[in-house]
Amino acid sequence: MIEGRYFQPEAARAEPARLWGERGDLRLMVGDDETVHRPVLVSVSDRLGNVPRKLTFADGGVFEALPDADVDSLLDSHGSFFTRLSRLEASWKFVAVACVATLLLLAGLYRYGLPALAAGAAAVTPNIVVQSMDKGTLETVDRLLLSQTKTSAARQSEVKALFDDVAKASGHVEPPLKLLFRKGGRVGANAFALPGGTIVITDELIKLAKSDDEIAGVLAHEIGHVAGQHSLKQLYRVLGISFMIGVIGGDSGQLVDDVVSQASALQTFAYTRQFEADADRQSVETMIRAGRNPLAFVDLLDRIGNDRPGSDETGWLDTHPGNKDRRAATEALAKELGWRE
Amino acid sequence: MDSIAAKQPDSPAATTRDLGFSFTGNAREYFGIWIVNLLLSIITIGIYTAWAKVRRLRYFYGNTWLDGHNFEYHAQPKQILIGRLIVFGFLALINVLVNFVSPLFALIFIPYLLALPWLINKSMAFNARMTSYRNVRLNFRGSYWGALLTFVLMPMVASISLGLLAPIASRMSSNYIGKHLGYGAARFGTDVKLGTLYRNLGATFLFGVSVTLVVAGVAAAIGYGFFELSGKAALSIDPGRELVSILVVAGVVGLYLALFLAAFFYLAGVRNAAFNATRLDGQHEFKSTLGRGRYVWILVSNLVASIVTIGMLRPWAAIRTWRYLAGSTTLVAAGALDHFVDEAAPKGNVASAEFFDIEGIDFGL
Repeated sequence: MIEGRYFQPEAARAEPARLWGERGDLRLMVGDDETVHRPVLVSVSDRLGNVPRKLTFADGGVFEALPDADVDSLLDSHGSFFTRLSRLEASWKFVAVACVATLLLLAGLYRYGLPALAAGAAAVTPNIVVQSMDKGTLETVDRLLLSQTKTSAARQSEVKALFDDVAKASGHVEPPLKLLFRKGGRVGANAFALPGGTIVITDELIKLAKSDDEIAGVLAHEIGHVAGQHSLKQLYRVLGISFMIGVIGGDSGQLVDDVVSQASALQTFAYTRQFEADADRQSVETMIRAGRNPLAFVDLLDRIGNDRPGSDETGWLDTHPGNKDRRAATEALAKELGWRE
Repeated sequence: MDSIAAKQPDSPAATTRDLGFSFTGNAREYFGIWIVNLLLSIITIGIYTAWAKVRRLRYFYGNTWLDGHNFEYHAQPKQILIGRLIVFGFLALINVLVNFVSPLFALIFIPYLLALPWLINKSMAFNARMTSYRNVRLNFRGSYWGALLTFVLMPMVASISLGLLAPIASRMSSNYIGKHLGYGAARFGTDVKLGTLYRNLGATFLFGVSVTLVVAGVAAAIGYGFFELSGKAALSIDPGRELVSILVVAGVVGLYLALFLAAFFYLAGVRNAAFNATRLDGQHEFKSTLGRGRYVWILVSNLVASIVTIGMLRPWAAIRTWRYLAGSTTLVAAGALDHFVDEAAPKGNVASAEFFDIEGIDFGL
């Protein structure tokens, strides 16, 4: 028998009550009344900490058990999932294990799971989707940032020949590569790659370059981005991180949510730096294969960097590795691959 | 517990009773529930979050007591899961359309704004309907135009006015919620005085200014310390200019933090004003005595504690906040509270409730 109080259907008045019998055949006595009722149980709230459990009957009446009442013995529900879970939640040993397991799982997911999932998702993304992303992004940057190229047709075809040369040396096949010329305007000397194989180079960059190898190195770097599906992977990783935050942050409160989102935005910069280093390596390999100077593009980067103070060092907020680090890494790799100046 | 209920006089009391809300949850117990919720949510790639949410809210509601009775959260995890799947599907579809088909689909925000009042009403109705006290459930019967004015148009006006009209927006939303909220067959009613809210805005402004000055001062001192220590001060050609830039950065940091904290300061004041102007059934009055600075301090120290312990103190922080909110709330009851009866009410819509939950939007219900 368990003690508690009983609420008439849809009413706030509670009276002391007793409940006994078994799940399918319950007996209820309310207040001083000697009448024994036979309520039909419809639902019972799951065990959870010390929250009083409520048994709802078919007529809408509710029996609220005292916090220490043994509802599970009465209803023979010791084996139910939440009753077991509730026992585990109260056990220090289990909670400690759950803590360690959660931390390990989160760290593992973040370090290995997400990148692997992102790479998998990038690999199976249909080409048509990627192409339409290229189209959309290009439309946007054309409208907002770039304008029509002023580079002469002759110079364009020279750069195009360079591009074909490094593209061939890179061994890249799918998706097909396409080189576009634009005036950079506000973005200045720059080049970027879209996931569908579109590579854009600005007039300013071509002008700033002192040799063909400098341009070729940058183009090889951008081809590296396309081949490595870096933009797509980045997209999926960001999606994955926000999903992870959603799962963890169910109960985080607004302040924590804000801070975690900011922190994860910082983390995407780190991902980006990793992709940049990756593309640098591809560039070096491609350039050596094409018989060109693999270090030339770093000179060009230095010249771009001269306009921007502080770009020598890799900072927390940087999307690209600092030029000092970059030069050192590039030289080391070139040497390793047997390149001699 | 039933002895408390039994002791209460059934006759309508001539005097009022001050009944404090209290919270009996504790951080140790909740930690176990929280970590298990988290672990199962990760293992099930998020599916368990629906069960986790129900267990979390059941724990907080179930441990909140008033006059010897606790609150109860009734949503079914499967309902919540379905709501979440609908919202996820919808958001994914919109994102695909905007990003891969045409940016023109971003224009969906216009029908979204028009649907927003409906969504808000349905969401509040669901959340109210899932909450009960003494076997009687809350309910919410919103009106489309009221919600459009209160939650779509007024916030726009308030932000255009740089916050000067925010008290008017707060008054409208508090009154709107109070007016349409019911407890069984009984209705709530809220009539916040505009003067209270403007005094709150004034206090918020002073709070914001002091935070800006203090944070900027500390930031400038730290910045200057580094500047001296790094030895750049001696080398710099124009140390005056460097100092100015340190001051500017410190000021920006201070202002940013102040805006952030002032928002919570202001909201705590609005909560006090709204509760203090609310009656149930025309006779039972609410009282809220949140210390605004104290509340901001609790949130900030919670945040720091959570971050420093990589989240492990988060359950403690959640319990601490809830306990403070409950402890600062009183019902001045004019007579017994056991005469309320439930009645049929709009069920609301779980997907709209989950939409606002996932988007992290809280209308204070």
